[in-house]
Amino acid sequence: MSTNSAINVDKLNVSFGDSHVVKDLSFAVEPGESYGIVGESGSGKSTVLRVLAGLNRDWSGEVDILGKRQPKVRDKAFYRAVQMVFQDPYGSLHPKKTVDDTLAEPLAIHGIRDAEAKISRAMQDVGLPTSFRFRYPHQLSGGQRQRVAIARALVLEPTILLLDEPTSALDVSIQAEVLNLLQALRHERKLTYILVSHDLAVVGHMCERLLVMQFGRGVEEMTAATLAARAPQTAYAQQLLTASEGFRRAG
Amino acid sequence: MSDHASSAHVTWRAWLTTTSPESRRQAKLGQLYRQWLAFKKNPAAVVGLVIVLALLLLAALAPLIAHYDPLAQALDQRLLAPSAKHWFGTDALGRDIFSRIVYGTRVTLVIVMLVVITVGPLGLLIGCAAGYFGGWVDTVLMRITDVFLAFPRLVLALAFVAALGPGLENAVIAIAFTAWPPYARVARAETMIIRNADYISAMRLQGASQMRIVLKHVVPMCVPSLIVRTTYDMAGIIIIAAGLGFLGLGAQPPIPEWGAMISTGREQIFDQWWVATFPGIAICVVALGFNLLGDGLRDVLDAR
Amino acid sequence: MNATADQALLTLDDLRVDFHTPTGIVNAVRGLSFSLGRERLGIVGESGSGKSMTGRAILDLIPHPGVVSAKRMEFRGKDLTTMDKASRRKLRGRHISMVMQDPKFSLNPVQTVGDQIAEAYRVHHKASAREAKERSLSMLEAVQIREPGRVYDLYPHEVSGGMGQRVMIAMMLIAEPEILIADEPTSALDVTVQLQVLKILDDLVTSRGMGLIFISHDLHLVKSFCDRVIVMYGGKAMETLPASELDRAQHPYTRGLLGCLPDLDHPREKLATLNRDPAWLA
Repeated sequence: MSTNSAINVDKLNVSFGDSHVVKDLSFAVEPGESYGIVGESGSGKSTVLRVLAGLNRDWSGEVDILGKRQPKVRDKAFYRAVQMVFQDPYGSLHPKKTVDDTLAEPLAIHGIRDAEAKISRAMQDVGLPTSFRFRYPHQLSGGQRQRVAIARALVLEPTILLLDEPTSALDVSIQAEVLNLLQALRHERKLTYILVSHDLAVVGHMCERLLVMQFGRGVEEMTAATLAARAPQTAYAQQLLTASEGFRRAG
Repeated sequence: MSDHASSAHVTWRAWLTTTSPESRRQAKLGQLYRQWLAFKKNPAAVVGLVIVLALLLLAALAPLIAHYDPLAQALDQRLLAPSAKHWFGTDALGRDIFSRIVYGTRVTLVIVMLVVITVGPLGLLIGCAAGYFGGWVDTVLMRITDVFLAFPRLVLALAFVAALGPGLENAVIAIAFTAWPPYARVARAETMIIRNADYISAMRLQGASQMRIVLKHVVPMCVPSLIVRTTYDMAGIIIIAAGLGFLGLGAQPPIPEWGAMISTGREQIFDQWWVATFPGIAICVVALGFNLLGDGLRDVLDAR
Repeated sequence: MNATADQALLTLDDLRVDFHTPTGIVNAVRGLSFSLGRERLGIVGESGSGKSMTGRAILDLIPHPGVVSAKRMEFRGKDLTTMDKASRRKLRGRHISMVMQDPKFSLNPVQTVGDQIAEAYRVHHKASAREAKERSLSMLEAVQIREPGRVYDLYPHEVSGGMGQRVMIAMMLIAEPEILIADEPTSALDVTVQLQVLKILDDLVTSRGMGLIFISHDLHLVKSFCDRVIVMYGGKAMETLPASELDRAQHPYTRGLLGCLPDLDHPREKLATLNRDPAWLA
């Protein structure tokens, strides 16, 4: 746990009422790293992301981001450093705002000038044609919406991007395009990623290290190489790997 | 000549329905145009719109359409049956009923507009605030709403009028006091669903203040159903106003308010049926018009 | 490659599903042909490929303004295209059944799961409430639910996703249909639960000699679970082949689809993307 970590989580506990959703979780992410969190439903992986993003206040433990201890309520400056992309392309864009509105809003909130140029550049960076600028979300496909969500996250030029199952709701061919885009952006801008997914192949492709979670606990942390070599140390991680390989008929 | 007009029409359509609008204005207008096209397909909705537009037109052009002064009494012309001279006949004071109905549209419109303009935005803001902030804000606002909701509309309106005295303005205040709670409740319910949406989380992630989120992002999502409910409510408001008028508590004579007209005509209902019937029909038609319009708007605006 | 004629449970020739919308005709399925024997047939495609519409067309569940037409649509020799609505309805559940994706949405939230299974039985067989309940309980056992008596009285929101899907399977198989259409039956489930549910499905389908149409977007899953696979795109079948030969698929769309999947065993810097050839839609 180096003090130069981009993100350092120590003994994180999250409860919703009686339900203890994240239990004593600790992990660290290096700057520029792509770190995966894998788990099934109920593992608490998305909750961890929401805590990191400051969307959740019912947690205890210590969260350090970019060297600073984080309070439960984050200030505006925090959001220029950390941004998030959500899972559902159909729910993450405001139905009544055009692409232009969606991209202009964060710039307006932070008083950033030169919005016009920044919006054009953001659209270009995610591969959206300028003719889409004044479309409404219902006039865009799932993949296009997700690109807008990525553009929105990047328009404030953050250094850390939290990705909550960003391609789970997309067709496989679109997923490939979006994953390639995310990889390219990470290399160009030297971003740090935390990618949450249930799909081991996606995490193995995108991440250098990953954490397997089950029932709110961190079960095993491993490198992508270990995953590829099918050499996890815990039974649950092995179970996940086997399950992801498909159906096997006995006999 | 018509070629030029039709080609201009075609380019307007193309401009409105393009899939790549070039400005916010074009996108918004295109959106409205598409909604208009969907609305047009519903015959009942169009009928409703026509009725409402007719109401507005009659109110605006009342002096041109009515043949007589609605307040002018002519005691030698009392209780005449409908004829070419008096289309809807005359009432107990010899006044032309048709003219009174036409001028009565103004009274109806005034009541409806005043109520809706105060009640809609108020209910929306209270509901959105309660739904978004939750906690004690929600509790306080909703208990206040419950107090108003607990009273039957007409009874509370009666109480207000009894306290403030009869009259058009007081009737409006009375109706407004009782009309806002449902808007608050619906806005609150919608807000509670909307606030969990990812796009709202995304706004929080951009550092937007609560106020900004509620006003710029939550409220616009609640507006379509507000418009629909308001339209439906107008029918109810008209009927309550007529009810108050019938009881002599609304607009006072000689103002040609439809409910009051029914009231004064009820004694003659068997022999001179026209005195009470025509105002009654007017109320029915206008209420129906608003209901049909509301249906049409709901199909276009609320359908997701 | 088709199942032999005397074995074919279902025969489709040139199936078309068109939606007559105010803004034009949408061709959801454009001339699909295949036959189904006592086998596991997978229909694979992305969203908009027409795979779900195919399943619904077979069951006459296409909503207005959709129109279904086909040169031939036969179930065990009986012509479905000329059948009246009532007879088509009788086929549903009794002879051809469907399991859908998410039990949260496909189970009635205000009825216990046991009652729903019992009702499914009584729709097709004259039986007393007691007999229907007994059959439901044994069906719950058949889908490997321990304590069927307890689960019988639970409501859909009280059961987990995997259990809900098993209830759905029980409900759809209790009338002993010959064909089961499974439309993304495991897509909403966790990956470890998926395999359990698939195994149950597999065992039931095999032991009853049923035909199964498995609709999915998941190529790997279909490859490992099905006997034959039809790959659909834009409403048409791009390729039909044995599941075991999927890795050696010929059609560029199938190859493209396989190529753009991230693979733990073949790590790449960049994933291959699909170049959509408009010729495929022709």
